[in-house]
Amino acid sequence: MTDIESAQSAPWETLAVCLLLLISPALISHRRPALWQLVALTLALVVTLFASDGVTAYVAVAFGACLHAITVFRSSRTGAVALILSAALAMGVAVATSQGSMLVAFLLSCLSIAIRAGVMPFHLGVASICDRLPVVQTQQLSSTIALVFVHLRFVDHHAEAIALAPMLVRYGAVATLAAALMTLVQRDLRGLYRGTTAMHGGMLLAAIGAASLDNFAAALLVAVAMGLALGGLGIMITSLEERVGTVRFEGPGGRAAALPKLATAFALFGGAGVGLPGTAGFVADDLLLHTLWMESPSSTVMVILSSALLAVATLIAFSRIFLGRTTPSLAPDLYPRERVIVVLLVSLLVLLGIAPGVLLGPADAFLSYPPLG
Amino acid sequence: MFSLAAVAIVVAVLAPLVSVAGLGLLVLLNDRHPSERVAARVLGAGLAASLAASLAVLAGHMGLLGPRVAGEVEFANWLRIGDFVIPTVFLVDGISVTISLFAAILTALVARFSVTYLHKEPGFVRFFILLGVFATGTQLVALAGALELFFAGWEMIGISSAFFIGYFHERDEPVRSAVRAFATYRFSDAGLLIATVTTFELLGSARFSAFSGVAALPAAEATILALLFLLSAMGKSAQLPFSGWLPRAMEGPTPSSALFYGAVSIHAGLFLLLRVWPVLEVSWFARGVGIVVGVSTAFYAAAVVRVHTDAKGALAHATLAQVGLILAEICLGWTTLALTHLVCHAFLRLGQYLKAPNTIHDSHRLGHAHAPHVGVLERWSPHLAARLYAASLHRLRLDDRIDAAFSPVLVLARAIDRLDRRIRSVLTLDGPMS
Repeated sequence: MTDIESAQSAPWETLAVCLLLLISPALISHRRPALWQLVALTLALVVTLFASDGVTAYVAVAFGACLHAITVFRSSRTGAVALILSAALAMGVAVATSQGSMLVAFLLSCLSIAIRAGVMPFHLGVASICDRLPVVQTQQLSSTIALVFVHLRFVDHHAEAIALAPMLVRYGAVATLAAALMTLVQRDLRGLYRGTTAMHGGMLLAAIGAASLDNFAAALLVAVAMGLALGGLGIMITSLEERVGTVRFEGPGGRAAALPKLATAFALFGGAGVGLPGTAGFVADDLLLHTLWMESPSSTVMVILSSALLAVATLIAFSRIFLGRTTPSLAPDLYPRERVIVVLLVSLLVLLGIAPGVLLGPADAFLSYPPLG
Repeated sequence: MFSLAAVAIVVAVLAPLVSVAGLGLLVLLNDRHPSERVAARVLGAGLAASLAASLAVLAGHMGLLGPRVAGEVEFANWLRIGDFVIPTVFLVDGISVTISLFAAILTALVARFSVTYLHKEPGFVRFFILLGVFATGTQLVALAGALELFFAGWEMIGISSAFFIGYFHERDEPVRSAVRAFATYRFSDAGLLIATVTTFELLGSARFSAFSGVAALPAAEATILALLFLLSAMGKSAQLPFSGWLPRAMEGPTPSSALFYGAVSIHAGLFLLLRVWPVLEVSWFARGVGIVVGVSTAFYAAAVVRVHTDAKGALAHATLAQVGLILAEICLGWTTLALTHLVCHAFLRLGQYLKAPNTIHDSHRLGHAHAPHVGVLERWSPHLAARLYAASLHRLRLDDRIDAAFSPVLVLARAIDRLDRRIRSVLTLDGPMS
């Protein structure tokens, strides 16, 4: 297969990851979205990833964001408003792209990603979704990956993007560190999820900044690794809370004996989020650090320290939820369908950790050159 | 076509991991846990294959299986994007084959010992899964030819170590100790990660072979690099001021304590320094720091071991004293002596740790032998001896001092969290959560 032919598989591979994140929560959660919503979101993803021009792609992104807003409106109005705002920004990118205003398009697209990925301080909406509907956050992550894909493809190839790269990298690194610190002092499970999401959002923004310097595939891998790890974590949090209710760290832990498989899956997704070797998170972190170093060594150090802090916060949370004096529980461990989802997500994380070229090779060739016309 | 040595390297590294994956799938997909026999056999097969492969690598290096294998053994790149490459490269030399074989033998011995020792323990399967992760980590560390692979193995050792410390997770103390050890590891890992990225940027590659060009670096850059490696080694090998986690790590089961803190893991930092010796060699400042740290740790541990009343804690500090001396030997440039010291010390300590439960049993059965002894220091200065005794009892309050140093970070974290909550409560459109 030639490079050009292999490059054409990039949207397909990204679509497979996005679809898994979109459909997984629907298979396990009691709050299943309507079928028409899933079909419409799938169509939006397909159009986003395969569109040959930026206008169509961003209109599809806006449409997808509106669909997510409908899903979350009842439980999280803040989240819904943030998603509508993100959709409006995506429409703004479409208009700016059609008129050739690439600086405006780039800024609006970055802002849209910041809102969708939960970068501090634009994280109010995502924080609310994490607090109220972690499982919907997993679905929302699928179209965030698609948004990053179209950003890298259509608006990140211009001189304006290169000029703004240093600022984005530094901002992303500071946001990452702030979120990691915040995660360290959380007192409940959803706080941990909120902080972890914000921390990864900061890393993603830094990666997008560095992407302008010809590191497109690195940014995509950061987005995919973030999506899979946080998506898996969101699903596990939902599964746990459906069994035992709200989980606070001051309360009794000791759930590992009653829910050993859930504890294992939680540890795997938490580990993948902090760069567990053998998972996509490890390669994504390594690649990100190398690309950041080209732009700002101090930002690289900040991101490394943030990752260390998040790892400690994750282990503390794990120990307070699952370890300690055994709490008697009649709650069942993971159901077979949940286990299948866990195995699928973990397999994908491991595949991308051991053979990242499967995604990155085609993606690099595909994203490194702007589409003709 | 790959050579026999190349295949052996792959088997040495991956065989335990394949066993772990198999056991993991059995645990995750079945409603019942695999039996002790299945767990021990699946993991035992992986460890045996790894040990046989390590022997084959040694034989290849000695030229017993055809042409002598030495230097880098390349596989397909782990990752290539444009000019950026993470190579899958292993290094076969005297140090790597020694450490690979020594780790494989010790891990297999401990696995066999644990089959009996942990019989009917609730976490039997978990223990063997973690042992497989550790075995893969040590083989990666031993045979890696580039810092990225080395770091992957290094992390696997750290993660399995933390979970081993928290093995008896129904009690609070092991869990707290696991978190503390993990936090120390992650801090020192951050040093190694920064060193890895710095090496790549300064030398154009993170292969160990690239260190031959380190002499051309400006002195300041070489010194920073050497200090970063030293920091990583200090955390992993529990050197001052990071020694506080080691006695806490004794909360884990005896076989894992023997393997980690008597034999393999505690020496991993020293192995790192042997691997990056060209960097240390050109930085007299970093070597000086290493000597001071090593000797101080040896004195500290020797003082603490004299007042320790539990067998494993005393052994931990005795180990620490020797590790400090080995660090000083490396920094003095006596690398062959250091490697010999390291291997002999690891075997000795493994035996002592594994015998510790029997020693305690014998001591309870036969009674303690009390031999009143007045030391030189007590005769010379009873006041100083008393001060030293008191300081040793509370281990120089190392943990308290580290907590105090870290407390401003927590204050900042709480301030950020408060600000974030305030902003969200003002701007939210949602009612209170149900």
